[in-house]
Amino acid sequence: MGLFGSSSTPAPATSSPEQQELKANIIKQLQAEAAMANARQLIGKVNEHCFDHCVPAPGATMTPGESSCLSSCMEKYISLWNVASKAYLNRATLERKNNGIDTIAMNSLATGGPAPQSL
Amino acid sequence: MDQTLDISKLSDADRKELTQFLQNESQKSAIQQNVHHIADTCWKKCITSKITSGRLDKTEEACASNCVDRWMDTNLAVLKHLETLQRQ
Repeated sequence: MGLFGSSSTPAPATSSPEQQELKANIIKQLQAEAAMANARQLIGKVNEHCFDHCVPAPGATMTPGESSCLSSCMEKYISLWNVASKAYLNRATLERKNNGIDTIAMNSLATGGPAPQSL
Repeated sequence: MDQTLDISKLSDADRKELTQFLQNESQKSAIQQNVHHIADTCWKKCITSKITSGRLDKTEEACASNCVDRWMDTNLAVLKHLETLQRQ
């Protein structure tokens, strides 16, 4: 049985235009929510690390030095994220190919992230 | 949930396609979550000097890349050792 259960009446093999549209909308909605969740994570981390790094002693106002540090820091964090993402995918692909290990599920044990679901 | 997104109105083929889509999204989300965690860790290890530029310098980039690989080595080593502990 799939995630959404099985319908009691067998549905026709081809979908109506309304069904096509509904499916497209569901996919769009899910993609938007996933993108939002990912962005929220990134913003949280950037805020945490760049505040730590650029505002060691919070004053009454933000100094120009702190502001420019924050801009650089944001860009640097995103660059590092992209390097890490690339390196991670390379390694995960390699482990799967050479050793048959699903590192993504294993890593989730250490990162506290959601393990990939098979539905 | 949104009234217009009523899954029960879908055909079986559409449901199958959606299930596949969700499986892919779930994998993508797990990867992103892991990368968020690793980037957080590797930022602490690799970005130690004053930030003057928005780009990673050569040392930082190499450090980040190595950091990911060693993190992965560590994770695999921990799980492997855990397995031997369980067998004792």
